Amino acid sequence: MIRVNERVLLCLSLTAAEPWPENATLYQPLKGEGFFSSSCSLYHLQTYLRMCGLPVQVVCRPNAEYMSPSGKIPFIHVGNQVVSELGPIVQFSKAKGHSLSDGLDDVQRAEMKAYMELVNNMLLTAELFIQWCDETTVSQITRHRYGTPYSWPLNLILAYQKQWEVRRKMNAVGWGGKTVDQVYEDVSQCCQALSQRLGTQPYFFKIPTELDALVFGHLFTILTTQLTNTELLERVRSYSNLLSFCRRIEQTYFESKDS
Amino acid sequence: MAAPDELFCWEGDWGLPSVSTDCLVVLAYAQFAGAPLKVRKICNPWRSPSGSLPAFRTSQKETLSRTSDIIIHLRKQKFNADYDLSAKEGADSLAFISLMDEKLKPALIYTFWIEPKNYVDVTRRWFAEHMPFPLNFFLPGRMQSQQLEKLRLLQGDERLEAGEELEKELYRDATECLNLLSQRLGSQKFFFGDSPSSLDAYVFGHLAPILRCKLPNGKLQQHLKSLDNLANFCSNILLLYFPRDGRDGCSQKSPPQPDAGDFDNVPSKRRKQLLSAVVALGAMLGYALLTGIVSIQHVQQEALEEPPDLEDMGSHEEEGDG
Repeated sequence: MIRVNERVLLCLSLTAAEPWPENATLYQPLKGEGFFSSSCSLYHLQTYLRMCGLPVQVVCRPNAEYMSPSGKIPFIHVGNQVVSELGPIVQFSKAKGHSLSDGLDDVQRAEMKAYMELVNNMLLTAELFIQWCDETTVSQITRHRYGTPYSWPLNLILAYQKQWEVRRKMNAVGWGGKTVDQVYEDVSQCCQALSQRLGTQPYFFKIPTELDALVFGHLFTILTTQLTNTELLERVRSYSNLLSFCRRIEQTYFESKDS
Repeated sequence: MAAPDELFCWEGDWGLPSVSTDCLVVLAYAQFAGAPLKVRKICNPWRSPSGSLPAFRTSQKETLSRTSDIIIHLRKQKFNADYDLSAKEGADSLAFISLMDEKLKPALIYTFWIEPKNYVDVTRRWFAEHMPFPLNFFLPGRMQSQQLEKLRLLQGDERLEAGEELEKELYRDATECLNLLSQRLGSQKFFFGDSPSSLDAYVFGHLAPILRCKLPNGKLQQHLKSLDNLANFCSNILLLYFPRDGRDGCSQKSPPQPDAGDFDNVPSKRRKQLLSAVVALGAMLGYALLTGIVSIQHVQQEALEEPPDLEDMGSHEEEGDG
């Protein structure tokens, strides 16, 4: 899911010495436009950067997807560089000397990576599925939200193109034949695993890590996005420790700093 | 339970019970859980009930083809290898299975199906040799294009092709995944203590083909071999749960292997020779008929039509005379 391209790595090694500039900018599409995936990665990234203590300014542009060097959102503009996608951005901040997972031992780091892939593998795919493969959601919400910034024929064409692409992807990962109920079941399974792992701790490991930022990004988006029914919301809500985890991160990293 | 559950999977080689990762996962899980399955090792995906391998036919004649579905079905039948795991360990298994799906699987697809030398020398050759006659010409190629398509969609790159850059990227993810697995396993016998669970089945299924298959481009194999605990983990499972295949592998590694293979294949070879002779004969006959070198119908028609012609001509002559 997350790809680090060579060029970015090259940039990283060249600029590792420079400190994080004050005027870093994070570009994202208009609120609610790409809905699930873009707002997940946006919250993930913002949380991550705030956990690192790196200041960033958020700018909304309807054509953010086409401004990004790799065509993926979100991307950040730091000093004289543009870095896109979550993986490279995390690498980039690491190269600048900001890392969250340094305090973990090898086994913990392995577990952290594994849980991050669990979220990418199940929650992200489930979100895409519900957003693009559930007929009622597609016709009532997704197509409209995705096409908003464009004028008439283009909005439909782009929405259908995206839907076609997502369906092919679902077939490739073996989710093609699933029903919506099965997908909800998968979401429950994933939340169950996360909830078990979290237990009564404030964070997944003893310090805030990338995993916390990622889980918060996804759960917070699910909790705050309105869908045609509340099934997905209810599934997540039934895990009380995940709910309080989200509230805690929101209070620590968003409310106190926004005020 | 009237009829036992049946599992259709790819044949084994290289000392493995099966060559396909998904089949290995199911086989290993069934062994760990002690599920009595009727295993049918075949090399013709068209003979499986779902048209792909692995396929699982339950006693109610239902067909399952996804690995996770098969394992869930076995679990419902009280064959549960994860019975002793705590909830947290269950969560960890799920996480590491996802890790392999995301990081190791693309590299596996690449090594076996996309890397040109490996594909031509090993994968295509193996499937072409083992599949029955007409299928072996087109199925391996079709399987490859399916895998390429899958990799493209997984990586989100429509124009992805085999090459240094892609290989580097995939192998970096894969070696990272292998390192993480090795760190998690540590010095334990299995991932969660002394008895194997579904995570062990998944890890075994993904690693064993890399470890045992001799590929011309074996970078992943080299890396895996350097991680002693993972390499030992795979050989241990082979030794404990698939003793017969493990021994086959050892005997096949010795020089007389090709001869033994030939002897085994004699009946099917005869059949192939006969079939090709029939097809060649048919083609030649068809060509001859089409171009008119041999024309049976024509001759018969002329033979039938000739007498009336003669009569007609005769009558014409009579009229002319008259």
